[in-house]
Amino acid sequence: MSAPSAEYDLDACAALQREEWEVLEAIHPDCISGDPSKGLIKLEVPVDLPGSTAVVLASDSTIESGSSSSSGPSTPQTISLTILPPILLDICLPSTYPYTPPQVRAVHATYSWLSLDGLREALAGKWEEGQGVLYTWVEWIRSGEFLEELSMSTIIEGRRTIRIVHPTPALLLPSLEGYNSSTQAARFSQNSYECEVCMTSIKGARCIMLSCNHVFCRSCLEDFWGLCIREGDVGRVGCPDPECVKEHREATEEDVRRVVTEEEILRWKWLRMKRALEKDPTLVHCPMALCQTPVPRPQNVEDGSPWERLRICPDCGYSFCAYCKRTWHGPVANCPISATKLILQEYMALAEGSPERKKMEVRYGRITLQRLVTEYEEERAFHEWLERCTGTPCPGCDLRVEKHSGCNHMTCVRCKEHYCYRCGQRLDRYHPYKHFSTPGLRCFSKLFDVESIDDEWQPVEGFDVI
Amino acid sequence: MDARLRRVNKEIADCKSDKSSRVTIDLVDDNPFHLIGAFDGPEDTPYEGGRFQVDIVIPDNYPFQPVKMKFITKVYHPNISSASGAICLDILKDAWSPVLTLKSTLISLQSLLCSPEPRDPQDAEVAKHYMTSKSSFEKTARYWTMIYAGGPGEDGAGRPGKDAAKDEIAMAGLDRAHVAQFEALGFDRSKVIDVLRRMNYRGANVANINDDRVVEELLK
Repeated sequence: MSAPSAEYDLDACAALQREEWEVLEAIHPDCISGDPSKGLIKLEVPVDLPGSTAVVLASDSTIESGSSSSSGPSTPQTISLTILPPILLDICLPSTYPYTPPQVRAVHATYSWLSLDGLREALAGKWEEGQGVLYTWVEWIRSGEFLEELSMSTIIEGRRTIRIVHPTPALLLPSLEGYNSSTQAARFSQNSYECEVCMTSIKGARCIMLSCNHVFCRSCLEDFWGLCIREGDVGRVGCPDPECVKEHREATEEDVRRVVTEEEILRWKWLRMKRALEKDPTLVHCPMALCQTPVPRPQNVEDGSPWERLRICPDCGYSFCAYCKRTWHGPVANCPISATKLILQEYMALAEGSPERKKMEVRYGRITLQRLVTEYEEERAFHEWLERCTGTPCPGCDLRVEKHSGCNHMTCVRCKEHYCYRCGQRLDRYHPYKHFSTPGLRCFSKLFDVESIDDEWQPVEGFDVI
Repeated sequence: MDARLRRVNKEIADCKSDKSSRVTIDLVDDNPFHLIGAFDGPEDTPYEGGRFQVDIVIPDNYPFQPVKMKFITKVYHPNISSASGAICLDILKDAWSPVLTLKSTLISLQSLLCSPEPRDPQDAEVAKHYMTSKSSFEKTARYWTMIYAGGPGEDGAGRPGKDAAKDEIAMAGLDRAHVAQFEALGFDRSKVIDVLRRMNYRGANVANINDDRVVEELLK
C-alpha cells in the first residue's frame, strides 16, 4: 500500500497500531501497558544478561582519570548480574503512526542506572516509515543489544563485561543487586522444574536451587537429607546430582537450613562437629559417662610439659588427665601407675614409626611418652632385678635384701624380724631353726640352698652384722 | 501411593517406551520392588551378542539408597564375581546418587563390561587371568558369553543347544595341553582344572610355576 504524502488512511493506521499492540501484548505481556485507543503506550523493559555477566560500576571521576592509579576513593566495583532494572519509555503514537515517527515523551532508567545520552537518538533511528517499531525497541533493550550500541559493553579476557558510569556507584550497587536477586527469585518460583529425584515437574516455588545451581524439589531434599541425618551419614548431606556426589560436595549450612527441621539441623551440626573432632588425632573422650564429648589437646602447651596431660571438657567442664582419665591430679603428681602402665604397654607394643604409634604420640605428647617409657623401663628393670636377686621381702617391714651367701634364716637389718629367706614366713626368734629342722614343714632341711652349698659361705650370724 | 512406588513405576514405564537402548526391566512375581533388568553385551567386546540379565532389588529408602543389583547371567569379568554375580561398581555403593535410575545404572553395568578395572577386582582369579593374558581372558569371556548369555562363540558358528556339554577346560580358560599333561600323571581331570585355574596356569605365567608345585597342589 502506498501512502499519499499529505493524507494518511487513519483507519488503516489505527488497525496497524492495534495489531502491533496485540502482538506485543501476546509476546511480552509484562512490558507493555497504557491506553492503545489514545495512542498512549508505556514500555517497561528489563535488560537480560545471558548467563551471568560481569558488570563494572565506575564513578565519573574514575573514568576521567582513566586508570586504576587514580587516588579517588572509589575504585570500580565488579558484580555479577543476570538482569538489569527496566528502562521505562513513555510513548505517544500519533494517529498517523506508523507513517509518522512515534513520539517518545519520556525515557527513564529505573534507579537511574543508565545515562540516557544517546538513547533517544538511537531509538529514533530504529523507526522506518510504515513499519511498527515498538517490538524492535523492546527486543533491542531486552536483549542488551543497545548496550553494545551505546558502547557500554566490552570483552575483557574473553568475557562480556558491561561498564556502567554513575555519579555514586556505592548507592547504585545495592539497588542493582537487589533488583537482580528479587527478579531471579520471582522468575525461579514462576518457572517449573523437573526434579530428577521424584521425576516430576514441579513449580519453582516448591523447589530449591542449591549453591551448586542444581534444582530439586523441596520434598525430595527433605526426605533425602532427613534420612542421611537420621542415619548419621553426614557426608551424604549434599546435592544429589551425580557429579556433586562424585566430588563429595556437601551442602552449605544455608542450604541445609532451607530444607530440614531445626532438630535435624542440630543433629547435622553435631554430627559434623563429631566428625571434625574425630579427625583430630589429639582427641580423648571425656570420661564422664553421660558426656563422652571428644576433647582435643590443650592449645599453647609446650611439648613435654607436664600440663600436656590436662584436658578440660568443653561441654561439661570436667578437668581430667588424658592418661588416667581421673580428675586432674596436677602437673606434678604421677598417675596411679596402672593407668600409665597400660598406656605405655600399648605404646611400646606398637612398632617404632608405625602410624598407630604416631597417633599415640600426637594424642599424649611424644616427649612425655618417651620420658615415661624411660622411667617405666628403669622401674621394670629394677623390679626384675628385685625378683631375680632378692628373696621374699621381710614380713615385718617389706624390706628386700640381696643374699649372696649364707643360710636362709634372716634377721632383718631394719626391723629385726626373723624370717625365712625362701618362703618369707616369720620365724620364732628364740627357735628360728625349727622351721628348717622339723620334718613335714615345707622348708625342712632347706637351711642352705643346694646351689649355694659349694659357694664359700659364712655362718648366718656373719651376715647379721647389725 | 508412596514416592518410591511412584518413581519405580515411572522408571519402568520410561524404559518400556525407550526402544533404542534395548534395556528392559521386568517384574518378578508382580512385585515392583523386585525386578529383572536385561541388556545386550556391548559391541567389540567378548560379551558381544550375549544378553545379560540382572537381578534388581529396590531398597526401602530408594532412591536415597542405592539399588541392589547382581548378575543372574554368569559373566567372566574381573569386576563381577564368576560364582555369585556380585558386582564391584562405585555407583552401587558410595558414589550412588538419587538422580541415577534403574536404566542409567544398567547402562553403567553395560559400560563396565566394556572397561574392566582389574586393579579393583571382585573376582581375583578372573582379574589375574586378565592381567596375565588378555587374549586368553577374552577367549574365555567369549566362551562364557556363548554358554550362558547366548552369544555366538569364538568362530561365530552359533550357539550350542541347552543341553550341549560345557567344555570345562574352555570354561576355566586353560590350555588343553596343560590339562592333558597333568591328567596323564593319573589325576582326575576336574581336579587338574580346578588347581590350574586357581594357580593361574596360563600364558607367560606357566614359566613361573614349577611342575612340582602343581603336583603338590594336586595331592592336597
